[in-house]
Amino acid sequence: MAEVKTREKRILWVISVPMALLALSAVYPVFFAINAALKTRKGYVLDRFGLTTDPTFVNFSQAWNESRLSEYFTNSVVVTVGAVLVLLVVASMAGFALAILRFRGRKIIFITILVSLMIPVQVVLVPFYRTMIGLNLIDSRPGLIIAYTAFFLPFSVYLMTAFYARLPRELFEAAQIDGANLLRVWWHIMLPMGKPALVTLGILNTLYCWNDVLISLLVLQDQRTLMVGIAALRGEYTTNVPLLAAGICLAAAPIVIIYVIFQRQIVNGIAVGAVKG
Amino acid sequence: MTETLPATATKRRKATAAAHADPGSRSVERFAYLFVLPALALVVVFRIVPLIWGLGYSFTDYDGMSAPRFVGLDNYIGIAHDPVFLDSLINMLILLATLPIWIGLPLVLAILIHQGVPGGKLYRAVYFFPAVLSSVIVGAIFNVLLRYDGSFNLFLKALGFSAVDWLGNSSTALASLIAVQLWSTFGMSLLIFLAGLSTVPSDMLEAAKLDGAKLTQTWWYIVIPSIRPIIEFAAVVTTIGMLTSMFGLIYVLTAGGPGTSTILPEFLIWLEQGKMNRPGYASAISMVLFLMMAGLAAIQIRIMSRNADI
Repeated sequence: MAEVKTREKRILWVISVPMALLALSAVYPVFFAINAALKTRKGYVLDRFGLTTDPTFVNFSQAWNESRLSEYFTNSVVVTVGAVLVLLVVASMAGFALAILRFRGRKIIFITILVSLMIPVQVVLVPFYRTMIGLNLIDSRPGLIIAYTAFFLPFSVYLMTAFYARLPRELFEAAQIDGANLLRVWWHIMLPMGKPALVTLGILNTLYCWNDVLISLLVLQDQRTLMVGIAALRGEYTTNVPLLAAGICLAAAPIVIIYVIFQRQIVNGIAVGAVKG
Repeated sequence: MTETLPATATKRRKATAAAHADPGSRSVERFAYLFVLPALALVVVFRIVPLIWGLGYSFTDYDGMSAPRFVGLDNYIGIAHDPVFLDSLINMLILLATLPIWIGLPLVLAILIHQGVPGGKLYRAVYFFPAVLSSVIVGAIFNVLLRYDGSFNLFLKALGFSAVDWLGNSSTALASLIAVQLWSTFGMSLLIFLAGLSTVPSDMLEAAKLDGAKLTQTWWYIVIPSIRPIIEFAAVVTTIGMLTSMFGLIYVLTAGGPGTSTILPEFLIWLEQGKMNRPGYASAISMVLFLMMAGLAAIQIRIMSRNADI
C-alpha cells in the first residue's frame, strides 16, 4: 500500500514537468507583450526577446494619446458598464417572474428565451444589422449596450431563474405578494437575495462585453471599442511591435486585474454552469 | 454557453407558485408579464424575428435596394457551387476533426490535477488565464509570436528544427489558428471537468486502489465513465464554440488567409455581409450555420434528458 502510494507520488511529480512547461506557455505571451511594450522601437529591433534593461513608458503614452486608445477605452468602459447593469436588472426581473410568480405562458416564455441561444449573432448578421439601422441604433453606444444585452441575456436569465427557484420558500411566505408591491419585493428581497448569482453574472458578462469584437464591429462605425481599436492597431503597426504591445497591455489590464481579484467567482461561475448543465 | 432547462427548479417552482402567489390575482399576472417583457422583447426583436427574416431573405435575390424577388433555392444552389464556401466547410470539418484533442488534453490535465499533482491549484488558475483574454488580444500577440522571425521559430531553432512561416503558409495557417484557439480555451473544459470530477465519490477510487488497480486502470474504468455526461456536455459546448467563437481570432490572426485557408463559415458570413449587395446570399450561409447549431442543440437536449433519466 505504502509502496503504491510512493510510486504514484513519483509519477505525479514526473508529470508535473510537462504541466509546468504548459503553464509557462500560458503566461509567456502576456509576458512577451509586457516586455516588448517597455522597449523602445530600436531596443526591440536590436533585442526582441531579452528582458528589457531600460524600461520606457513612451509606447504607453503614444498608444493612449496618439493612437486614440483613451477614447476607445472610454467607449469600452461606458458600453461594458451600461450593458452589464442592464443585463443584471433585466435578468433579475425575468428570473423573479419566471421562478416565483405564476402566470399563463410562463413556460413557453422561458423556453423562447433559452431557444435563442441557438441563434448566435453570425446566424442573423444581415437582418440584425438592418434591425439596428431601422431602430436608429447603429453607431451609438446605447445601441451597442442594447445589442450586448440581447445577445448575452439568455444565460443570465437561465441562471437567475434557477437561482431564485432554489431559494427557501419561507422568504416569500412572509412577504405578501400581490401586484401592488411586486416592485418592492423585487427591489428589497429578490435583488439582495440574488447577490451571489448577480456577482457571478456581473463578472462573466463584463468579460464577454469587454472582449467582444464582432458585435462591436457591426454596431459601431465612426466610434470604436477597445478591442476593435486593438485589431486596427494590429493592422496599422505591423512593424512597430512595442506600440502594439503597449496597446495590448492597456486593453488586457482591466481583465487581468478582474481575473486576479475575482478568480474564485469566475472559476465557480464556469463550474456552476457546467454541473447544472 | 451553458444552458439548459433546470428540471428540478421547474418542478419546485410549480409546487411553490401554487402555494404563494394568489393564483386568481390578476394584478400579479399583469406585473409578471411586465417583469419578463424586457427580456422577452430583446430576444424576440434582436434574435428570433431576425432569424425568420433571414430565412425569408435566403429565398430571395434581394440586393439591398430593389424589391426582393422569390428565387426558391437559388441561393442555396449558389453556395453549394461557391468554392469559397466549400473551402470554409472543409476548413470547418478539419477543425471539427480535432475535437478529440480539445477534449482529451483538458481531461487528462483535469484528472492529474484532481489526483493531486503538486501545485494543482496554481495550474488550474494559470491554464484558465488565457480564456479570459479577448481573442483580439490573443490573436494580436500570436500574430507577432508566430511570424517568421518570431519567438516560436526561435524556440524551434534552439531545438534544432527549421523555421516555418506559420501564418503565411496555406498549409500551416489553419493548424496554427486551431492550435492558438485550443491553447487559449482549453482551460474552460478543464474547469468543467474538474467540477465533474469533484462529484466522483472518493471511496470508489480508494476501493479500486485497495484492489490493486493501477492508476491508469482506475482512470479508464472508474473516473472517466463516472463523468461521461460531463465529457459529452463539454464536447457539445466545444463544438458550438468551434462553429461560433472563432471570429475574433480569425479576424486578427489571419483575416481568413492566405487565400481561403483559414476562412470558416462564420467568417465568410461576415465577409459576405460586408459586401452589402447580396443579403440573400449571406443569409443562405447563415441558415446553413443555424441548421448545424440546431442539430447540436438537439444533441445537447438528448444528452441532458438521457442523463436526467438515470
